[in-house]
Amino acid sequence: MIIAILTDWFRRSNKSERLWLLAKIEFKLRYYENKLGLLWALIKPLMDIAIYYIVFQVIMRQNVPAFASYLFIGLIIWNFFIESTGGTIQILNTKKYLYEYSNMNKLEIYVSTLLSNSIGFFFNFVMFLLFYNLLEKDTNYSSLHTLWILPLFINLYILSLAISLILSNIYVIAKDITQLWTVFTSFLFFLSPIFYKLDTFKERLPTFDYLNPLAGIIINARKATMEGANPDIKLFAWDFTYAIVLLLLGIFLLNKLGSKAAEKL
Amino acid sequence: MTKALAIQAKGISKTFNISEDSHNTVKHRLFNLFNPPRRKKVEALKTMDFEIYKGECIGLLGRNGCGKSTLIRVLAGVFPTDTGKIDIYGSTLLMNLGVGMSHQLTARENIYVSASVLGLKIKEIDAIFDQIVDFAELREFIDTKIKYFSSGMVARLGFSIAVNAGADIMFLDEIFAVGDMKFQEKAIRVFESSWIEGKTVILVSHSMDVVQKYCSRTAFMKNGSLVYFGDTDKAIQMYIDDNH
Repeated sequence: MIIAILTDWFRRSNKSERLWLLAKIEFKLRYYENKLGLLWALIKPLMDIAIYYIVFQVIMRQNVPAFASYLFIGLIIWNFFIESTGGTIQILNTKKYLYEYSNMNKLEIYVSTLLSNSIGFFFNFVMFLLFYNLLEKDTNYSSLHTLWILPLFINLYILSLAISLILSNIYVIAKDITQLWTVFTSFLFFLSPIFYKLDTFKERLPTFDYLNPLAGIIINARKATMEGANPDIKLFAWDFTYAIVLLLLGIFLLNKLGSKAAEKL
Repeated sequence: MTKALAIQAKGISKTFNISEDSHNTVKHRLFNLFNPPRRKKVEALKTMDFEIYKGECIGLLGRNGCGKSTLIRVLAGVFPTDTGKIDIYGSTLLMNLGVGMSHQLTARENIYVSASVLGLKIKEIDAIFDQIVDFAELREFIDTKIKYFSSGMVARLGFSIAVNAGADIMFLDEIFAVGDMKFQEKAIRVFESSWIEGKTVILVSHSMDVVQKYCSRTAFMKNGSLVYFGDTDKAIQMYIDDNH
């Protein structure tokens, strides 16, 4: 069904163009409205890194090698996830002008907004590669395994799209989801291996690398970009399945609840 | 000769569940946590079937609150129906005082976004871009965000996009009330010269002259039901009788 939708998109004339147009405009609105513009896309993860570095490496002495890079890759994945899920809960409200006057497919609104976030992600990822290769000491340079980031990112994209669909469509009938999700994500943040040493995380929270779909993506991204190794394929397949199942639920909710967005919001 | 269908509606109906929020204060809300607000059912559209063919200009008459706007939203695919099935063949555009535009975007961006939503490719939009801008008489403000526009300017821009980009099926809700007299004349001229031909148009208007002049068939609605659908003169007569 998803493949049918996707092929339909690319075959039918202007849809891919439209997605890109909407993504570009969304990106511009996001970054060029501020004085510092695109710099914010960089400043935010850098500031986060500084905080966690001080707490976990200086005060608590975790002794993770190349900890700044370790944080960097974890945080940009986390930030993409948060911007694409929590940041889009009200998307059917803010983008109402797109579907209120025509029979446009609502799924396009999601895909384009996440596409715009993806531009930010890859900007950050390039910064990460520069940082890792030029500034980080005592590490190997990036290897070809870094390319694994692409399938891992597709996994992250589908997962974020799925959760974005689920949350924003629940928002149509229950606005409380915004508060609930805020609480849930702060749980998830501490239950993801973003700033912990991986061994400690696995030891204290066994099965969480499987239970939390984001954990697997972060673990595998580090393997590919920092350890120069292949990702854990079993974990990757598990997370991908996780994302697809959630996406199906999201599309189901979009058809069930999202179709009423024009009258309810 | 068989005519191609534009819209086919079978047994469609629409009921709104409106909640009456009587718990206005926090205290009131807390005490009534398990006593949800009362709900009221409003039958906006009662079961109806009809077909609209490609290239037709259909009038839609009825007094305020009879369900005209709900009907065109359902036909445009913006609202889902509760019962029945509706087939829409082509892109739709619903137009009242403005088409879907974001106030955060500039006029230029809005033109590209709206035209793209209507199914045009970027190259096609490039080709008609100047035409849209000149028709709307907004050349100097093209890179201004439309939140700084006057309501007349926004309406003109919307109208101009709709005229030049156009969808396969257009729903026009009292559109001849847009802009000043000069713009209205221009709008009517364009409507006559290009819209009537080729496009499917559903026209909602309280102006009998407009409906009589352009519509081949006209529907008359009362209290959510489709009372009559056919000859324009007869529908107008029914509407006039209803108003007395």
